[in-house]
Formats: sequence, structure tokens, C-alpha cells
Amino acid sequence: MFLLPGLLILSTLLSIPLYKVFEYSLYDNVIINPEPQFVGLDNYVEVIGDTGYWQALWNTFLFTVGSVIGHMVIGTSLAMLVNANINKRALTFFRTLLILPWIFTAVVVALNWQLLLNPFGVVNYSLEWLGFISEPLDWFGDADLAMWSLLLVSTWRGYPFIMISFLSGLQSVPKELYEAAEIDGANFLQRFWHVTLPQLKPVIYGVALLDLIWTFQLFPLVWLTTGGGPGRTTEVLSTLTYRLAFVDFEFSKASTTAVTILVISALFTILYLRNETRRK
Amino acid sequence: MSKIEIRDLVKRYDDTQVLHGINIQIASGEFTVLVGPSGCGKSTTLRMVAGLESISDGEVVIGDRVVNDLRPKERGIAMVFQNYALYPSKTVYENMAFSLRLSRVPKAEIERKVREVSAILELDPLLQRKPGELSGGQRQRVAMGRAIVRDPEVFLFDEPLSNLDAKLRTQMRVEIKTLHQRLKNTIVYVTHDQVEAMTLADRIVVMRSGIIEQQGTPDEIFHNPVNTFVAGFMGSPQMNLVESSVSGGKISIGDANHPQLTAEMQLPDGAVTFGIRPDDIELLDEQSEEANNQANKQTVKISLVEPVGTEKLFHFSLGGKPFIGKADGRMQLSEGQTVNICLDMQYGYYFDAQSGERIR
Repeated sequence: MFLLPGLLILSTLLSIPLYKVFEYSLYDNVIINPEPQFVGLDNYVEVIGDTGYWQALWNTFLFTVGSVIGHMVIGTSLAMLVNANINKRALTFFRTLLILPWIFTAVVVALNWQLLLNPFGVVNYSLEWLGFISEPLDWFGDADLAMWSLLLVSTWRGYPFIMISFLSGLQSVPKELYEAAEIDGANFLQRFWHVTLPQLKPVIYGVALLDLIWTFQLFPLVWLTTGGGPGRTTEVLSTLTYRLAFVDFEFSKASTTAVTILVISALFTILYLRNETRRK
Repeated sequence: MSKIEIRDLVKRYDDTQVLHGINIQIASGEFTVLVGPSGCGKSTTLRMVAGLESISDGEVVIGDRVVNDLRPKERGIAMVFQNYALYPSKTVYENMAFSLRLSRVPKAEIERKVREVSAILELDPLLQRKPGELSGGQRQRVAMGRAIVRDPEVFLFDEPLSNLDAKLRTQMRVEIKTLHQRLKNTIVYVTHDQVEAMTLADRIVVMRSGIIEQQGTPDEIFHNPVNTFVAGFMGSPQMNLVESSVSGGKISIGDANHPQLTAEMQLPDGAVTFGIRPDDIELLDEQSEEANNQANKQTVKISLVEPVGTEKLFHFSLGGKPFIGKADGRMQLSEGQTVNICLDMQYGYYFDAQSGERIR
């Protein structure tokens, strides 16, 4: 009874937009056209036949998988670092410092990295000074570098969530397991492989899926750094949808790509929920 | 098998010293139990022998090597932990084979060793199970199996039976003792349970607040405690320890404001702590003539009866101090009953009232 008002508001806010997006995807150009015609699945056929859509899907796949791997590797390493048995003050300092990327909004992160990776920015200056490059690179403007730069920014922004999740997992690993492994003769890597990883496995799977779902739909970071460019080299499904809707004003096609994002995200969500149910 | 020597072992955490110069010599093949209340430093000592805690001062020698700077795996030890510390993702077989795999022992040899040990510990039907599918007792046996497979010079046990229920604990105690008789390894075993210490040990080391109070055979520790702490700690129910006074060759037990028992005793005049084990307090048969002529006889009122099967523990007050006596389990005793008791003074213990040290 107490939940009813909340449930009503939530379901209304969720179901009406969902229904409208799906409805729009079945009409010809809605909003712009005052009397749109029902066209069935024509928009889907058109979108699926468009190479730009497949390019965006492939980029989304690269961006998502690359980001999740980056988050995992950096997040796990840093979680182990801040779980180390060192001076408590230093530990608190590092934990606070390393969580900072998470508390910035995407806009701030994007602007900061744009400045850092600017051809006249600190990164280029440092690399030149160290002798790694002879002339400044246009990190976000070069088609060969743009996706890598985007992955760098996405990894920087996303690792704290993994770090915090794994840190709580690491802290629940009994200390005796490490001691037993040490007595058994396991070195650092063997202890990580035989004790840490198996103990973190349930957390890793759940957290990776959650990260996958979030990164798959990520929009502001891409839009505010590369804007999907240069050309379409970093165009992902979310930026494509935005471009179709608010640049090209093709709201029906935008709704269609949005529905495909929804379907793919829903599949990941089902996997995540299944994993959570199994864990319980 | 190796002897162990612990020389002037000190442990400090920043400014806090928790071990104050521990000296223990453990002969090869000896079963030594470190016993004491929580926080006495027994587990810290064991972990320093294992290499899991750094040594602030002093030396640990295993065999003929000073192992202070050696890593745990280089010390030739195997350890059984209180909560078993089995790798949850590995099967029983993999748990037991793990250290051998890390040492790159050939597969066939690993198989032979694991099978041999699993046969000794009756683990054969469990080899493909994971620790989560085992009972507490089975897990404990796997933990022991994992230690035995390594064929170490020294076994270290850190309160291995604490997580088991009373029945299983007794059963596992027998298994550990049988195993030691069979393998004849050097064992250092830590427990806070004095019954475990008494039943398992060749030698007991009683510790308190980071120092050794007494070490010796179980008989020595039980029958010749050096102070009130050891006397009170070893034995269940514990020894009755009562403040008393000696005057003119006579000891008066308890408080002078209450009915006391007075017996002849050649001790200097002054305050002493009198100790007597519940077993040495005899419940006299009213009808027997011998009982009526018994010296050190006293009439007391039973305040509480604890039946523990083969015997009954009865609580009473003497000289205003609480005492526990032990009677045959078949005797009919009840609260409020008045009985005659006799303290067998030849088994009485006398300790300095101030220092608690034994007066011999």
C-alpha cells in the first residue's frame, strides 16, 4: 500500500516513454510530420540496411568491450593496491584519490580530457619533452587515435566503480587463504590466480555485466569528446540515435535505433539478473 | 622430523610488546601444546614459527637452521588453521595436491602421495568434492591431509578443533593423537582448551600475557603447578583456590568470620592461598565408622549440584569461600542437603598470597 504511489509514478514514467519510442519506430517521420503514417517495420528494415548503423554497432561493441576490459584491469589492480597492508593514512589517501574520477560528471571529465589531449595540451607537451613523439598528436581528431583516446578517457572515468566493488570483494577473502597459499609455496601471481580470482569470480561476473550495460548506453562522454568523429570512426549507437533525432530530425529512425539499444541492453540485463539470482 | 628451538622470542607491534622473550625447546618428534587464555601470545608464537609474523627479536631454529629470514615455504612447515583455510574453488584432491603442483612434483608422484594420505585419513570418497560440500570434521581432515602430503619437518596446528562441536572435537582429538603416533612428526599445537592440551601433549607450555608460566609434561603441569595461574587454568573443574591463613603450625581455610576448617600444616605464619582439586574433596558416608573418625572432616550444605554423567559436581561454602567437590555420579545429592566432607590435605597446594608462587 505504501509502495503504490511510488510504483505508479515509476511505472508511468517508464512505460509511457517506452511505449512512445516503440510507437514512433513504427511510423514515418513523427513530430516533424504532423500526420505520420503507420509504416510497420519499414524503419527497422531501413536501419538494418544502413552501413552507418552497422558501423555504429561495431564501434559500440569495440568501445564497450574495450572500456569494460580497461575498467576490469585497472580496477582490479588498483583494488589490490588499496587493499594492501600499508600505512592506514596512506591507504585512506590513495582510496580517496583513486575514487575521484567517479565523482566528476561526464561533462567535466570530457572537457578536462579535451584540454589534456589537445594538440597543445599537457599530454602532447610531456610526450614531446620525453622524446616519445616528435610532433603533437590530435588524439581526438585523428581517425587512428580517436577510439583509443576515447577508451583511455572511458577507462579513467569508469575504473573506480570496479575498484570499489572488487575492494569489498577482496576484503571478504579470508586472510588465512592467503597464508595457507603462502605456506603451500604460492608466489604473488599464483596467489592471485588461485585465491583472489576464484573468490572474486561471482563479483567479477556481476560487476562486468553491470558495467557492460552502462557502457553500452554511454552517451555524454563520447558526444562531448569526439562527437562520434572524426567522420564516423567513434560513432556509437547512442550518439547515432542523438544525431538522427536532434541533428537530422529523423525521430522515427532515432526511435528505431533506440529500440535496438533497448533490446540489446535488455539481453544483458537478463543475464545480469540471472547471475544475481544464482548468487542468492 | 626436526627439533625446534625458540630463543628469547620477542614480538612488538609499534610500542606494544606482546611476547616477552619466549624460550622453548621442542625435541624431534615431540608433540608440544601451547596453551593459555585468549591474548596470551600462543598463536603469535606459532605464527612466528610459521613465518606469517615477523620476529622483532630472538631466534627461531628449525632443525639446524635459523629460519628468521626464511619465507614460510622455505621453513619446511605445514600448518592447519582454525577455520581450515581450504581453497573453496578447488576439490579435496586439488587442495591436497596444490603445494606439490607448485613445487612441480611429477603428476604421477602427486597422485600417489595424495592417494596414500587420503587412504590414511579415509578421504577417498571425498576427493572430488569441494570444501563447501563437506562437514566440519571432514574439512578438518582435509586440512590435515593437505599438511601431511607436503611431508613437512614440522606440523603447526592453530586451534584446529575450535570450530567443531564437542563430540567431533573428542573424535578428532583421538585422530590427531593416533596420527602423531603413526607419523611421529614434530608438532606444535595451539589451543585454549586445557583438556585438549592434557590429552594430546607430550609437553605443555602454559602461557599468559606473553610469557611462559610453566612448561613440562602434562603430569608435571597438572600435579605440580608452579603458581595459582597454572593451578587454576589446568583442570576441569578448576582447582579450588582459597585465601587462608597459617598460624602456629595450623592452617585455617577461608575467612575467619565463617566456620573454618583447621588442619596442621608446617608453614610460616601469614596469609597463603590454599588450593585443592575437586577430586581430593571426599564426600563421607554418614554410616561408616571410618568416616566419623576422619580428620579434616567438615559438615557443609550443598548449594548447587551439577550432574555430568559419571560424576556429580557439588558446590558448597567453607570458611565463607565457594568450593567445588566431585562425587560419584550414582550418589543422590540435592541442593540444600547437609553432608560431611573431608579435604585430603596431602594433596593440598599452598601458594604465596601475594605473588601466587607455589610454597613447597
